[in-house]
Amino acid sequence: MIVVVGLSHRTAPIEVRERLALPADRVPSFLRGLVEREPVGEALVVSTCNRVEVVAAGTDGARSNLTDVARVTTRAILDLAPGVAGSLYQHEGRDAVRHLFRVASSLDSLVVGEPQILGQVKDAYDVARESGTVGGVLNRVVPRAIRSAKRVRSETTIGAGQVSVPSVAIDLARQIFRDLSKHTALLIGSGDMGETVARLLRHAGARLLVTGRNDERVRAIATAMQGEPRSFSELDATLVEADVVVTTTSAPHFIVELEQVQRLRRARRGRSSFFIDLAVPRDVDPRVGHLDSVFLYNVDDLSNVVAASMDSRRREADRAEAIVAEEAQSYERWADAEQVTPTIVVLRERLRRVLEGEIDRSFSGKLRHLGPAERAALSVMVEAALNKMLHPTTVKLRRLATDPSSRADLDQSIATLNELFGLEPDAVDGVASVTQSEPPDPALDSDLGSREAS
Amino acid sequence: MITAAIIAFYLGVVAYSVAATLFFVELARPDKSFGRWAASALGVGLTMQVAQFASELSIGEASPWSLKFALSLSACSLSAAYLALRTRLRIDAIGVVAAPLSLTLLVGAQFLEGSGKVTGFPRTLLVMHIAANLLGVGLFLLAGAASAFYLFQERRLKTKRVTPLQGRLPALDSLDTTEHRLLLAGFPLLTFGIVSGAVVTARLDDMTAASVARAALAYATWVFVAGVLVLRAVAGWRGRRAAYGTLAGVACMLVVIAIYVAHSGARGGL
Repeated sequence: MIVVVGLSHRTAPIEVRERLALPADRVPSFLRGLVEREPVGEALVVSTCNRVEVVAAGTDGARSNLTDVARVTTRAILDLAPGVAGSLYQHEGRDAVRHLFRVASSLDSLVVGEPQILGQVKDAYDVARESGTVGGVLNRVVPRAIRSAKRVRSETTIGAGQVSVPSVAIDLARQIFRDLSKHTALLIGSGDMGETVARLLRHAGARLLVTGRNDERVRAIATAMQGEPRSFSELDATLVEADVVVTTTSAPHFIVELEQVQRLRRARRGRSSFFIDLAVPRDVDPRVGHLDSVFLYNVDDLSNVVAASMDSRRREADRAEAIVAEEAQSYERWADAEQVTPTIVVLRERLRRVLEGEIDRSFSGKLRHLGPAERAALSVMVEAALNKMLHPTTVKLRRLATDPSSRADLDQSIATLNELFGLEPDAVDGVASVTQSEPPDPALDSDLGSREAS
Repeated sequence: MITAAIIAFYLGVVAYSVAATLFFVELARPDKSFGRWAASALGVGLTMQVAQFASELSIGEASPWSLKFALSLSACSLSAAYLALRTRLRIDAIGVVAAPLSLTLLVGAQFLEGSGKVTGFPRTLLVMHIAANLLGVGLFLLAGAASAFYLFQERRLKTKRVTPLQGRLPALDSLDTTEHRLLLAGFPLLTFGIVSGAVVTARLDDMTAASVARAALAYATWVFVAGVLVLRAVAGWRGRRAAYGTLAGVACMLVVIAIYVAHSGARGGL
């Protein structure tokens, strides 16, 4: 099991989060330093503008004392940023697993359903792997968290719709003009939101024209955005060219009139026009929106779309929570069953060694006349008998391990086996360290190959 | 060979059904892989349909001038046109209409007489007449679907309604271009079909009320389609107006097909 220690937008304002901000180039050294502190054996850091969290596991894998791991991890964080103690939270065991799954699935994000966090968790995992601070526990739990997040994204519409006014405006433009790189956008005025929308249009490949009453300001904006400045006196001709018009002036009256657009529509020969009126008071006569092939959205219209998207995401979050709970439970069942793996492996090894020793003795004694085929057949027979003998024990131990109410029975059974078969703790630990260094589940690893852009 | 045709028919039905289902799933869930699988299934359906008719024609079970063949050819041209335009214009969502329409035409064709008998008319001209009309039908049906999608999408954007389909329908631009290209491709076929149809009717002396109504509606289709194309070129009529004009033309064409089916049921063949 794991621990998660960190802070996020839920517990810390930006000025506190800034103190713990860990630059990407310092993460590997921080991780290596952390895993050198007993009993921390594995660690990774998820660092975004809204959260910094350390996910850690102990050196003893499933049998680690998580409270000690959390204490040492907290100490390491406070060494890095002494003033953040009051904002730190920590989760241990099942709570930590569920928290990690929720974070990767964007259920704990400031904007629920935002897609970036999944890429950030994958990056954190990659950095930790490259730093050599990931072992058997994190190699299992993190890919499971990533798989859970992928399920959430594919089985719910939690990421559907845009959640900011500029992104909604661009989304709508794409619903009218498929490929914005073949279209022309016009920015009228110089408001912040208008400039953001214009910048997004430019990034989408649109040709950008800029106009306004202040020529100097127009030239500055056009230069900054790689657009073309146009004189405000040529507004009619510029409107004929523009497919998307973003208005953001402080004029107290309409600067785009109904009659003007009616007149210009003929020159546009029926091509669609999309007016994004971000000004208050409005810049575009609202009757313009009733014209054929003309679409007009003002700030309220765009805000309504944002609100609807947020509502939809909140509804989908319930379904996403159910998926996360199911995935976390599945992982926990697996992790519980894994607790007994070292005992089973050592027991099997002990018995196998005894049987192999006896067979070797017989092959050099009474059975020396046997040929290679007979010897191989005898070895296979002994292996099969060993499997059959150990099967009930394995099943019983795994059943006890996955049932929380059988904790005492499990401990008793393991102690009895240790005593009866002389399974020394060192031998068990040796096997435990072998299982920890296993590579991640290949099926889950293939998930990591298909990285989302973030 | 008849067994091969039957197998191809059932495989075609399965493939079109799978395609229709996957297109619906894709519309409900924004996952591009559903669309790719749906398009592949549609391609398989189209191949099976061609294989079925090749088998039936080779053993004389179907005639090129039967209504059965005609409907199947329409389904083929519809599917082929959709597959050709899908990736280029990103009109995946129209598959929701294209796949069920192809399935309906394929299954509907099985209930019709396969051996049409036409006498006293040059065979080559008749084949060309039928082929032109039915390829045109496929293209116009798809154009009609694009127009319907256009009107839905345009209304949604105008009324500023937020629906679960937001962002999953093709862009207005793509729908308008799709409709225009399909009309451009189908119009010469329709024109040839009407001219050759007039010759067929005159030669066969088939001046029944049904054939007159059929001809009148075929001319109406031609006028609507020509109107949409000319007004777009001359006066820049696009978007909603073009969509309404296209739908009117497609409606006339569907009535022509209904008369054909009813008349053919009574007479057998085209």
